[in-house]
Amino acid sequence: MAFGIRLHVWGQHGLFTRPELKVERLTYDVMTPSAARGILEAIHWKPSIRWVIDRIHVLEPIRFQSIRRNEVGHKAPAGTIKRAMNRGDLEGVQLLVDEDRQQRASTVLVAPAYVIEAHFELTARAEASESEGKHLDIFNRRAAKGQCFHQPCLGTREFAAHFALIAPGAPLPTRNPAAETADLGFGSPRDLGFMLWDIDHAAPGRPSLLFRASLSDGMMEVPQPGSPEVKR
Amino acid sequence: MSLLASLVRAYDRLPAAPPYGYSPEKIGFCVALDADGSVCEITDLRATDKKRSPKLLLVPQAVKRTVGIAPNFLWDKTAYVLGVTAGEGKRTAAEHAKFRERHLEWLAGATDDGLVALRRFIESWQAEAFAAPLWPDDLRDQNLVFRLTGTFDYLHDRSAAKELWQRLGAEGASATQICLVTGEPGPIARLHPSIKGVWGAQSSGASLISFNLDAFASYGHEQGDNAPVSEAAAFAYTSALNGFLADKAHRIQIGDASTVFWADAAEEEAAEAEHLFAAFLDPASEDKLAAGKIGSKLAQIRKGVRLSEIAPELSQGVRFYVLGLAPNAARVSVRFFWTGDFGTLTANYQRYLCDTALLPPPRDGWPPLWRYLVELASQGKRENVPPLIAGEWTRAILTGAPYPLTLLSTTLMRIRADGEVNALRAAILKSVLIRNFKSREAPVALDPANTNKGYMLGRLFAVYEEVQRGALGGNVNATIKDKFYGAASATPQKVFRTLDAGSQNHFSKLRKQSPGRAVNLEKLLTSITDLMDPGNDPIPASLNASEQALFGIGYYHQRSDFFRKHDDKTSEEPVK
Repeated sequence: MAFGIRLHVWGQHGLFTRPELKVERLTYDVMTPSAARGILEAIHWKPSIRWVIDRIHVLEPIRFQSIRRNEVGHKAPAGTIKRAMNRGDLEGVQLLVDEDRQQRASTVLVAPAYVIEAHFELTARAEASESEGKHLDIFNRRAAKGQCFHQPCLGTREFAAHFALIAPGAPLPTRNPAAETADLGFGSPRDLGFMLWDIDHAAPGRPSLLFRASLSDGMMEVPQPGSPEVKR
Repeated sequence: MSLLASLVRAYDRLPAAPPYGYSPEKIGFCVALDADGSVCEITDLRATDKKRSPKLLLVPQAVKRTVGIAPNFLWDKTAYVLGVTAGEGKRTAAEHAKFRERHLEWLAGATDDGLVALRRFIESWQAEAFAAPLWPDDLRDQNLVFRLTGTFDYLHDRSAAKELWQRLGAEGASATQICLVTGEPGPIARLHPSIKGVWGAQSSGASLISFNLDAFASYGHEQGDNAPVSEAAAFAYTSALNGFLADKAHRIQIGDASTVFWADAAEEEAAEAEHLFAAFLDPASEDKLAAGKIGSKLAQIRKGVRLSEIAPELSQGVRFYVLGLAPNAARVSVRFFWTGDFGTLTANYQRYLCDTALLPPPRDGWPPLWRYLVELASQGKRENVPPLIAGEWTRAILTGAPYPLTLLSTTLMRIRADGEVNALRAAILKSVLIRNFKSREAPVALDPANTNKGYMLGRLFAVYEEVQRGALGGNVNATIKDKFYGAASATPQKVFRTLDAGSQNHFSKLRKQSPGRAVNLEKLLTSITDLMDPGNDPIPASLNASEQALFGIGYYHQRSDFFRKHDDKTSEEPVK
């Protein structure tokens, strides 16, 4: 925990999409490590550091809600955009929402709240003069002030995440005793099945990395990079 | 555990699950071939019932056909096998050509008598040869399987065919990846088998997992690579789900959500839990149970006895799964998925019963959930049930969570639209008030001391209606309820003065007809208005949603009270 930080995040809704059910979206029960990493990176990130999530505390009961929305069926093709840039002309660069509409269902989490425990490591791109304390200070200062480079989100962009830094040594936000149910792994650990750990962008084919997630006493332990629990 | 993992687990436990690579399909006819490939006879496999329903046979798993042309292995419909169809088949020739080409390729090295016979048959077959009496006309567009003359098993059941099918499957497998269901490396399914039997989805089957537009794909992945599920896991979860959807003991319809449920326990306990759950939500299965041991347990559960006292073996350690699937054209979406202890489920069901309890109760005992849902649909049609509410409400019942608030607003809207306040609607209103607003003001039975504005006004409104009924009889074309219910419940100030003025005329008429009744009603009216506190604006300009709900409950209680008293009198009269 030398360079560990703890961040309290919460929001009205969260949607941590399961890869297998991402068309008619269904959320994971608990925030995924990669979503937590995304939140930290919104506050402070440099190529010279890499965030590693240690554990995620679940503060609220896991509740779901279904919504249906109209969404667009296609992405704007990168090739068309590139050609338009070369040409210097916007002809054909468009997605017509009303002609390419898809009604899709989403099952989202209601009022999720988490505490993310994480630390960072210096990467190969860090300069020799760089110290870890510098980045830790930057992160703590920015998070305490509520600064972020872009609004962090709970899984998908439409569900904004609020955040507050938990100062070193300060206690965790209290959990409502009514929320301490078997659903959050109180009593006996609850198996959450295989969860997305992150995506291996360096490997060919960009495979997903998975780990067996479980909740015990409201806490999900996240395996460290390179550990055998991360399946590759 | 995730949805897919629990389905895969259910597949491992199912006794009647098809083996890997095979699926049950509807087969109409069997063609018996001689060793030289000539057709010996055609057997009709269909049942003798009126619909001539085809026989379900385990055959090599069907390929996923959408727009492409792809033949099945050793069986298919006549368009593929023979190039013959009843309708106008634009692609029939192409389909048959594909079947011929693929099978000649698959069967090229076969030495088994049956497979050789099939190869010879395919080589020599001409679509023109399709003619009665050998080929009956109802054969068209049925699925066909083959058999070698003199043997009893079908061609696809011969061990040589099974070996060949296994080899073909292994050759077609894609690169190995970690499966997100099992966590083990394995060949990844590119297209997942179809889910059949989801109400409202395409009849040919729809996909739970599919990536049919590029907005659904990520990181340049294609099709199944977006969500690496191994072939074996994909087969297992679709087989289990299709099995549940086809089985009446594991499936009920809630609104537009096709709901399947299963228990993870020893066979006997699982069946018992499944029967009980079916009876919780659907009375059709309850009738079957009524006499047996389960029936008496059900009755006790409904009385509120804890499950641990009735069936201790079910209350601990029986995991139960409920999955609601909703159609969305070619896709199937998960409306709700609940997994947990059967004891918790029963407790949540008892809480739902307790919340909806109302006196006088609905006429036919324990109304199933769909009866409540129909009350939310326009014209009382099941297809008009608002889809999202049905799913959200079911989820709330299963989890014991607060009800969706749209349940309240939709019920109020329906009451305003058709002016009917019946036991079911009042029960819905009451249950939302109790569960979401922790309201102690929503009583089970008529509560003459309740001083909530909405409740009192509802009762008052019922009295005015009764006065009108007493004065003018039951055959009024448009009663004050028909005319004023909506306005009275939402904006009472606008209406109640008019009602009061009108009631004076009704009272004067009623006094001439039956003075005793007029006095009783006047007493009742005063007893309600006496509760009202003049300083506190008893007739406000508007009522909010929960007050409107109480208005409905008050109206229902007071109105049914008139009918009940009426019944008492008739039963007392002979005594006098």
